[in-house]
Amino acid sequence: MTSSSLRSLAGTLVAIAAVATLPWWVADQYQLHLAALIAVYWVLICGLNLVVGFSGQLSIGHVGLLAIGAYGFAILAGRYEWSPYLSLLACGAIGGLCGFLLGLPSLRLPGFYFAMATMAFALIVAELTLALGDFTGGGVGLAVPPFPEPFASPEGFYLLAAGAAILITWLTRNVAQSQWGRGLIAIRDNPVAAESVGVPVFRMKLLVFVVSGMSAGLAGALFGSLQSYITPDTFVFELGLFFFVCIIIGGRGSIYGPLFGTIVLTALPEMVAPLAKLGNLFYGLALLAVVLLVPEGIGRVFEVLSARLRPRKLEHGAVEPDARRLAELLREERSR
Amino acid sequence: MSALAATSVTKRFGGLTALEGVSVELRPGEVHGLIGPNGSGKTTMLNLLSGFYQADEGKVVLRGEDLTRASVQRRARAGVARTFQKPRLLGTLTVLENAMLGSWRETPRRLLPSLLSWPGIRGDEKRNRARAAALLESLGLGYAIGRQANLLEHAEKRFLEIARALMLRPDFVLLDEPAGGLTGPEIERLGIVIRALRDAGIGVLLVEHHTEFVFGLCDRVTTLNLGRLLCHGTPAQVRNDPEVIRVYLGA
Repeated sequence: MTSSSLRSLAGTLVAIAAVATLPWWVADQYQLHLAALIAVYWVLICGLNLVVGFSGQLSIGHVGLLAIGAYGFAILAGRYEWSPYLSLLACGAIGGLCGFLLGLPSLRLPGFYFAMATMAFALIVAELTLALGDFTGGGVGLAVPPFPEPFASPEGFYLLAAGAAILITWLTRNVAQSQWGRGLIAIRDNPVAAESVGVPVFRMKLLVFVVSGMSAGLAGALFGSLQSYITPDTFVFELGLFFFVCIIIGGRGSIYGPLFGTIVLTALPEMVAPLAKLGNLFYGLALLAVVLLVPEGIGRVFEVLSARLRPRKLEHGAVEPDARRLAELLREERSR
Repeated sequence: MSALAATSVTKRFGGLTALEGVSVELRPGEVHGLIGPNGSGKTTMLNLLSGFYQADEGKVVLRGEDLTRASVQRRARAGVARTFQKPRLLGTLTVLENAMLGSWRETPRRLLPSLLSWPGIRGDEKRNRARAAALLESLGLGYAIGRQANLLEHAEKRFLEIARALMLRPDFVLLDEPAGGLTGPEIERLGIVIRALRDAGIGVLLVEHHTEFVFGLCDRVTTLNLGRLLCHGTPAQVRNDPEVIRVYLGA
């Protein structure tokens, strides 16, 4: 193992230890609630990041999938008294299915129209939660059951949500570091080049959209249980924009940038009292600042600033191909 | 037949006929030049062969298999690689990662193994990395491996795009005006690379304006004018063809 991979392993272990022991060092219950909320949001945003940050598809309607997960959990675990764990998994599956049904027709649309399709989806879901009163409680809403012990207490629930967040972070990081991740970035930055090397563009867009639907369904179930009571007003359209903004502010094509974005945008307005009243203004200003100053995202702010302050002079050597070696290499490759 | 051939293909864009009944046949281990004035249909032909356009009439066949309606991806997987007039790279990724993207043919197409990072995936990744590094090294880009692609100079981008195409382990490589924007010495090095491809048994299509470069390098040359075949033959035959001299080369 090289020293850099050893260091990144050590960093990961420290981060996991910090997340796991958080209930014992936060100041109060409210902060613990916030931490659980961040973990739940991150489950959704991390999946959405594959769609927005990597494949470059601008979905602003994932709040619809979150609502489906939350209502699904309330109905399955509450009304039908399924096991909460089974209900949780079912919500992931339902979210994935809805992602498939939404993505199949709309992912062929060019960027702007795709964003509109996802917005329309979120609005339809919001209307349905109101209209299907027998099922969803209409405007009155539904109570959402908690998870059983050991996840019933705030500490327990936090650990459940944090576990899900760590799991999904690991999964998306694996994808990002593989050939799949490069394929997704190619779809985002240069679809023509992607096609030319054989990247199945539509198929990959659809598959990561389904994954993001599953993570949104899971997040929805956890979110509902955390809120303990949901109404259509819990799932305002702005929440979908919020998820999107977390990724853009964090930086596209990165995992930890959007994580940082999620933590800052969720916690800051809550922790700093004057910002709470100006929640949306704060998001707006943060977004404006990032898009104008560091379009690469705050995840890379130090890198970008240091490059701007101290422009490194690159040595451009002459490209000197070695004909004999190249021909040998190609012949050897082709004989296999 | 082991060739990649377009047989009397016609391509229309609305009322404009970009190509009419033109045939081109690429053979393994041969460099085939495609020249002609602007708008003569050279790039259209390249796009028909690589699948970005589909022919209105005529056929595209690879090793006896009809690919006329096949997608770009299908042709790439069958071993047809290409480059673009303006290099199309992923600017935020490194040179090495850009080259690695080219090995898509050998990448498992299922998502689950990548999500779970199965040992097989990590092995593939390692092999892919080593292959790309060796190829870049032999192309003379070894010094730039860790550099971000949008910091490269034009010639570096050009050679990197060729490296990405070669990562497909292609049987045929289609080059769209590769000498464009290169200096004299850089064009010479490009010639070295193209000859190496030919020596390794790869069939090369060279769409190019730089006629001296084409005549010095190619085994056979096809000349187009206004979407029709003007002349076809060895460089010597084409160079001395009175029609070619009249419409293209000048006296």
